[in-house]
Amino acid sequence: MLARTSLRELRHRPLRTALALTGVAVATAMLVDMLMLGGGIQRSFEELLRSRGYELRLSPRGTLPFDTEATISGYAELRDALASVPEVAGVAPVLAYSISVETTDSPDEPQTSLRALALGIDPREQGLLRLLEGELPGSGEVLLDRRTIEETPLSVGDTVDLRVAGGLDVAARSGRARVSGIAEFVFSAREDRPIALPLEDLQSFSEMGDVVSFAMVRLTDGSEPDRVRADITARIDRVEVTTLTGIVTEANERLSYFRQLALILGSVSLVVTALLVGTIMAVSISERLGTIAALRAIGIPRMRILRALTAESLALCALAGLAGLGLGVVVAGVLEDILSDFPGLPQAVDFFVMRPSTLLLAYLLLLLVGAGAGLVPAWRATGLEVASLLHAEEP
Amino acid sequence: MSPAGPARDTRGVIVVATDVTRDYRMSGSIVRALRGVSLSIPEGDFLAITGPSGSGKSTLLHLLGGVDVPTAGNVRFLDRDLGSMSVEARASLRLREVGLVFQRFHLLPMLTALENVELPLAAVGLGPGERRARAEERLVRVDLGDRLDHRPGELSGGQRQRVAIARALANDPAIVLADEPTGELDRSTSRSVLDLFRRLNDDGTTIVVATHDLELAEGARRRLEVVDGRVEA
Repeated sequence: MLARTSLRELRHRPLRTALALTGVAVATAMLVDMLMLGGGIQRSFEELLRSRGYELRLSPRGTLPFDTEATISGYAELRDALASVPEVAGVAPVLAYSISVETTDSPDEPQTSLRALALGIDPREQGLLRLLEGELPGSGEVLLDRRTIEETPLSVGDTVDLRVAGGLDVAARSGRARVSGIAEFVFSAREDRPIALPLEDLQSFSEMGDVVSFAMVRLTDGSEPDRVRADITARIDRVEVTTLTGIVTEANERLSYFRQLALILGSVSLVVTALLVGTIMAVSISERLGTIAALRAIGIPRMRILRALTAESLALCALAGLAGLGLGVVVAGVLEDILSDFPGLPQAVDFFVMRPSTLLLAYLLLLLVGAGAGLVPAWRATGLEVASLLHAEEP
Repeated sequence: MSPAGPARDTRGVIVVATDVTRDYRMSGSIVRALRGVSLSIPEGDFLAITGPSGSGKSTLLHLLGGVDVPTAGNVRFLDRDLGSMSVEARASLRLREVGLVFQRFHLLPMLTALENVELPLAAVGLGPGERRARAEERLVRVDLGDRLDHRPGELSGGQRQRVAIARALANDPAIVLADEPTGELDRSTSRSVLDLFRRLNDDGTTIVVATHDLELAEGARRRLEVVDGRVEA
């Protein structure tokens, strides 16, 4: 009954309640966003890596995949050496090379040219892309990125010119290829316009010989990546072998400032909530000191009054929290759009990962902080000496 | 223990104060509000405690009801020493055996008259049905049977004080202690409150009133004057 009174008290002061609700909702939104951000990008990146199913990455000694322009020479020899490791189920080579893609001359269409990152792959064993339309590229064919298709008049079956501009130590080259299909390149950043073609075609076109930038290794079921990694390292000393866990750890270290930022801002939002709820409750309770003293005087147990006052702060936080969760999700969407332009990060990686457990955690933290913040002034008020309070309240 | 509380003392005395002193610390100095007061309140009494403002009437009332404890001396309520009881044990005793009425009523503005009276009944653990029936009966007793669902803001001062008296009677207490119950009321309303106290006393309720109101004091069976912390007569 007392708890009901407390809830009515909130309704009785609509402006104060509305302002407090808004403040707590905004703080909750910030808390939700920080919980989604803290670890979100790492989790998203890890999920992306694991979804492709290649447990090991081989890169030039002393480097990480995509971390350098260095290459591994003698790929055929490397592939044969890997084939002798019993746990190796497949090898997906990747050669990255900058290239210019141009539409072929047409009397109807103006010529389009774009700078692309060409990826030489083995179409039978690859983990970098998802085919959306058409086929994987055979010899003399390329696979274009979905965004390239959207931005140019190209479509499956068209022909494109591939060009390398000449320089001091590079001779200008060009070739022609047919568009075999459209794909989503899962590791590409928003600003990238990747294309894929058979490894041999790119090796030949680039005149780089039998090299790869890195290779992804698929293991047989039940293999232990760390053990296979040690085995390969012992057999082939010119490559760096990294497990998925190693890459995730490395990524976590590089992205740790996101976690720290989220931790600090999340804590700030909780402190703001506590101060806001504590202040509102302290003001509200001090206005009702006389009533609280009278309730204590007629013998209402302290715990009962405490419960009622805490219910008031909990109700405030529960209502504001629900609004805050919604607001947080909307704001996270907006921030995700802004941050997705972050250079170099795969577009498939999300900064803000929304999970029911994250929302639940934010809500529970809020309720806990709200209850605690309300409890402090309530505890003080109900612990004051009743007789002195009555003397002060009664004329 | 039943919701109605411990069994009543059968010797006919509700509260006995013996050589009671109460000191307060105010701004670093000690103020003596009561000096060696002794009195006994038998069952069925209607006592008016009078005296000038600041004489110690309210302090004495608080000590008799266990709201406060003496600095020296002792107060026995239904043969229990209030000074040796914990804060919560005294609160529990007040809930069941003491009905308190305040000058400013102190009703919860968000609750109806009926809900205000139900409050102490809920605190002793009565279920909603019994609670409502008993609260309704108490309000009928103070002539507010037609105002059950009115909130305090919709009632006159006299009606609010009668709701407060009904609340004080809710758990069928051994004694009703009223501190300046007519202090906020006009003369005719004060008279109706006095009539109500007389009627309740005639029905067997023990009542102690601390008051400036001479008419109310003269309406009591017994009168006791407190001056400068001492009982004069």
